[in-house]
Amino acid sequence: MVSRSEVLSLCRAMLRAGRQYPHYNLREYTKRRTLDGFRMNNTDQSKVNEAYAEAKAQLVVLERSVKFHSLYPPKTKNIMEVKLQ
Amino acid sequence: MASLSTTSLSFKAPSTRISQVLRKGSSFQSVTFGRFTSSTSKSLRLQISCAAKAETVQKVSDIVKEQLALTADTPLTAESKFTALGADSLDTVEIVMALEEKFNISVEESDAQNITTIQEAADLIEDLVQKKPAA
Repeated sequence: MVSRSEVLSLCRAMLRAGRQYPHYNLREYTKRRTLDGFRMNNTDQSKVNEAYAEAKAQLVVLERSVKFHSLYPPKTKNIMEVKLQ
Repeated sequence: MASLSTTSLSFKAPSTRISQVLRKGSSFQSVTFGRFTSSTSKSLRLQISCAAKAETVQKVSDIVKEQLALTADTPLTAESKFTALGADSLDTVEIVMALEEKFNISVEESDAQNITTIQEAADLIEDLVQKKPAA
């Protein structure tokens, strides 16, 4: 049985990894998706172990993906990141 | 207790000096010890670092309000617990992440799991901001 703190640290690790994308859209998506994913699986206690294992695999994929995407960072700043004047 | 805080020379943060002196085991223990000693001489500490604290607390409250989608007039004191405001543990993780980004600091796992009120978050942030330029 995974403990509550393990789940929280996994969530934190995923959020931290997602922050490293140079692309605005990927950053926002991973943040939204991890939080939604963790909240969805919160309710069903029997599936917690499965969900945890899945999330761990996704974390590995995420870290690898961050490295790939950093190879070709976007050249211009995304319009969503520009402050309104 | 009083002598400890008065011998701390740094104007901004007597708590970091105390925690450095008493650092024995994990950093978390020394941080709480620092908080205990400073709480007994609270009035002195408030005089020294009042301005920074209030501003940090205000920024933290703003972020919390935004994350938890609270209305502008909900009473938000420094001692409000996140759980009292309707946040579950995932919300707390999100809030800590947002605070990390805002203040450009990196919160450790053990510290992050023990944040329950706004004041604690502000204290931790102050500590980390102090330590960062020194490192």
